[in-house]
Amino acid sequence: MPKRHVRRSGLTMPVNNPRFLNAVWTRGCDFVNLDLEDSVPESQKPHARTLIKLAIPTAAKGGAEVFVRINHDYVEADLEGVVWPGLARVNYPKAETAEEMRKLDVIITRLERERGIRPGTVEIGANIETARGVANALEIASASPRIKDFGGGGGYDMSRDLGVEMFVGFDQFVYGKGELELTARALGVAVHRAGAFVPNTTGSVSDADRAFREAEASRKCGFREGGGLHPNVIEPQNRGFTPTEAEVTDAKRVLERYQALQRAGKGFEELDGRITDVYEARRAEELLEWAELCAERNAEKAEAVARTKAAE
Amino acid sequence: MVPMTVQRFVEKAWRHNADAITLDLEDGVPPAHKGAVRSSLKEAIVLAGRGGAEVFVRINKPFLAADLAAAAWPGLTGVMLPKVESGAEVAEAATLMTDLERQRGIEVGALELIVLLESALGVWNIRDIVTASPRVTQVGLGESDLCRKLGITATDAEDPFVYARGRVVIEGIAAGVQPIGMAFPLSLTPRLLPEKDLLHLATMARNLGFKGSICPHPSWIEPVNAAFSPTAEQVVYYAKVREVFAEGVARGTAAVPLDGKMIDVPVDEWAKVVLHVAALCQARDEMKQQALQRAAAFQR
Repeated sequence: MPKRHVRRSGLTMPVNNPRFLNAVWTRGCDFVNLDLEDSVPESQKPHARTLIKLAIPTAAKGGAEVFVRINHDYVEADLEGVVWPGLARVNYPKAETAEEMRKLDVIITRLERERGIRPGTVEIGANIETARGVANALEIASASPRIKDFGGGGGYDMSRDLGVEMFVGFDQFVYGKGELELTARALGVAVHRAGAFVPNTTGSVSDADRAFREAEASRKCGFREGGGLHPNVIEPQNRGFTPTEAEVTDAKRVLERYQALQRAGKGFEELDGRITDVYEARRAEELLEWAELCAERNAEKAEAVARTKAAE
Repeated sequence: MVPMTVQRFVEKAWRHNADAITLDLEDGVPPAHKGAVRSSLKEAIVLAGRGGAEVFVRINKPFLAADLAAAAWPGLTGVMLPKVESGAEVAEAATLMTDLERQRGIEVGALELIVLLESALGVWNIRDIVTASPRVTQVGLGESDLCRKLGITATDAEDPFVYARGRVVIEGIAAGVQPIGMAFPLSLTPRLLPEKDLLHLATMARNLGFKGSICPHPSWIEPVNAAFSPTAEQVVYYAKVREVFAEGVARGTAAVPLDGKMIDVPVDEWAKVVLHVAALCQARDEMKQQALQRAAAFQR
């Protein structure tokens, strides 16, 4: 089983903004999503493509994984500009068919070979942002082994496709998100950026308090991935997606109790109204594994930041 | 939705400013009356259409051929097919409709189908159903029948159809078919409510992705029309959004602040949708207004 990625927080930012790009390594995010799509004006896209090769190592200086969001309509030109060493993943917006995924896979495979990148390194992120994408979810997600996580089903493009307002007090995307999560779990890939519903009626992208509540609730619903558009939400997402010390202590205690039960030849015990059984033990195990991965990821990032600071 | 049994309702329906009037041959008509009611449909279609509304007829699934033959007359926009469970049922209806169009001088393919899903099988097979014929233009749930089939006792406390409603919206829009429906609990147990509550729930329905709703009572029509049309404030705001964004793009930026919000491509794209829908709604209202005036003048 491959190592699980830790992608609790990530900034999506226009690659053609040098001020953002030069500061992004100091932000503490698990990944950076360099954007060629919506935040880059049409007239600047050709120029923006030429910036990616050097932007990848710049964005990675703080230990973040680097992704690029390409344009739905400029697959060939964008991929030529973005598949360079250091790239972890290509995010493809408005994915609607398996055919699109196969086309991306063929081009990425060729570019990896031509540019000395280990085959299979670059992931494909299929961003599902239309009703058609949700309807074709299973075919899309199974179209390429490069798809390592899968999800979505909300956001502005989805709201436009469905003709619904974006910031309402209820979850207008609940069905689509559910379909995509089921698809991911059925295929055994990670669930990408889906989450528990925490209302956002103002449209704010920088509300740290809300970001924390959403990340924490999402983690408790089994989700592990975040991401956003504003530096303010990075720390709260890192914190919200990481188990607390109290949770870690409790999980250890559950495991100990379960092991003691097994030694006694029992599989089930109730203590002060709380059940210890195989299900609780598995939950505790997963929590401890995740907490450890988060700690490793934090250490990697701290090391990268220290290296960069020493070098500069 | 107007039951064909009450002549007074049929005669007055055109005055209520609905975008569509569905003459009901199904649940609103007792079995003994169905024959008599069929023979008065041809005239009822003309009466119902006087105010510019599109006219549909809801037929009985067991009497498909007889009901279609009674309904397919000039002036009919389409047929509402209840309790649909498979694409084959839609194909069967579509074939019969083609024959009738030929016989009666209606353009072939002109008659539409609104399909209602009222069983688990229907909800499950939605993709086959909505893609079975290009005649299918709208799809909705029959939530009270669905309750009965699933053994659910309807209450206002728990919404049993979050999944089914979401599926209708996603699969409908993916296939280019308009989903129609109301928000819970009105979707499940229609009733009379103050206008502001109807407006609130119909607005929720629009924000679930529905494009309109069947109205069981004339008092629903105005709030439903209002909820499914962009408001005047939205039109002003989104026109401003488009203007501000275009200025930003001309300056070389695709992210422009407006009143504390960031306007970028997706917001501009959404603004286009709102303004487009507003224009369509306005054109529809004007068309109905003209038809109403013509009909009223004719009455005098």
